[in-house]
Amino acid sequence: MRTRRASVAVAVAALLAAAPLLAHHAFSAEFDINKPIRLQGTITKWEMINPHSWFHVDVKDPDGKVVPWMIEGGSPNQLIKAGVTKKTLALGTELIIEGYQAKDGSNKAVGRNLLLADGSRLVLGGSAPDVPTTLEPPRK
Amino acid sequence: MAHRFPVLVRGLVVPAALLWLATVPAAGQARSAGARPGGSAAKAYTPPRTPDGQPDLQGIWSNTTITPLERPKGVTGEFFTPEEAIEAAKRAAAEEAEQTEPGTIADVHYDFTQFGLDRSQSAMALSLRTSLIVDPTDGKLPPLSEEGRRRAAERAAERKRRGGPHDAVQNEPLGARCILMDRNGPPMIGGAYNNDYQIMQAPGYVMILTEMLHDVRIIPLDGRPHLPPNVRQWTGSYRGRWEGQTLVVETTNLTDKFAFQGASENMRLTERFTRTDEDTIRYQFTVDDPSTWTRPWSAEVLWKKTTGPIFEHACHEGNYGLYNTLSGARAEEKRNAEEAAKKGSLK
Repeated sequence: MRTRRASVAVAVAALLAAAPLLAHHAFSAEFDINKPIRLQGTITKWEMINPHSWFHVDVKDPDGKVVPWMIEGGSPNQLIKAGVTKKTLALGTELIIEGYQAKDGSNKAVGRNLLLADGSRLVLGGSAPDVPTTLEPPRK
Repeated sequence: MAHRFPVLVRGLVVPAALLWLATVPAAGQARSAGARPGGSAAKAYTPPRTPDGQPDLQGIWSNTTITPLERPKGVTGEFFTPEEAIEAAKRAAAEEAEQTEPGTIADVHYDFTQFGLDRSQSAMALSLRTSLIVDPTDGKLPPLSEEGRRRAAERAAERKRRGGPHDAVQNEPLGARCILMDRNGPPMIGGAYNNDYQIMQAPGYVMILTEMLHDVRIIPLDGRPHLPPNVRQWTGSYRGRWEGQTLVVETTNLTDKFAFQGASENMRLTERFTRTDEDTIRYQFTVDDPSTWTRPWSAEVLWKKTTGPIFEHACHEGNYGLYNTLSGARAEEKRNAEEAAKKGSLK
């Protein structure tokens, strides 16, 4: 039914708009929207720490000099539940990082997208070990 | 091969999310028989007992939800139909797997999907409710009392007096400072990710570990009085008791620093934990704070059984972000001052 479908669409859109995903802190206060970066380098260390994990990456600058960078990623807890360890991503793996540089100008960035050397996206999670299988009935 | 790591292309993530959703209707129909909105409850589940005779709530649970606290504008019904609820969950899963638009504020962030942090990748009970708030029935917070309005204005003035959000570490939100998150509460409400809890029971006690930020509530069941009124704690003074199959926890002695939804330190919280089947706890809470709202209000969240382990969320130790945020703000101030000086010298 046309009107019903429309109201469902509005309801669903409103529902989604009202429950956004918010991280632990405001990343736009830490990183500069006006400093987008694209780096290519190799992983030297992955700190699987909270509240956010950090990838240490050696990046060669245009003169061939190696410059260490630190790239901020997500909390590792869900990955650890899924069996991912700090050895999952081998040291020396080549990564392309698309992100934004730190506001203080240091060699730190948020990795809004991590790519492997062949251009495919790195997805460390991606499986759903615990899936909802029930639709809970409401109770009055 | 030294390491085989689970690299998946993004295209595989959304179908995985849809796969679990496809399993929802059949199970939902089976479970909801006799429990339609407004109808009688499903056959009561009797949880197993602990060795000392308590109803057993033990295990690791997730309160991840896509249901907002307050009913959104444009939604009038108290419940979705199962079809609508599934559609909402599919849309949420698809949207969270989408990449953000370069150059937008939302894009200055890591990608949730890459770290398995999408809500669709977590254990989640789908509720038919359109808001977590069940009372008032309009799904909204009740109006503020006169004192509540006055205090909200005073708090806003105080925040202004203290300067910008990154002027001092004390101005940063409690979560960014690793002090307290919404998962902690109380009341305990899930956030974007890591919404896991471990419940353990011992004679006379129930312990609830909140994964994020690794906080523990050890709730005594022996009827002892609350702490003296002058002792105030971030998560208050909590005392529990069993009412049939339901664990009831009363919390007082809060501070005004957490200020759940703008509450005062006088907030009195009643939480109810009822295991409704092997995999689900119905978590209900009532907030009573006449210093803030004109009437008490109540909400309901479903907790879903999940697997461990819960990895320690040692937030403060790894909180490089706080330092970076403050040093970024100082660098910005310096740049602005230099530009202002340059403009001044040109005059």
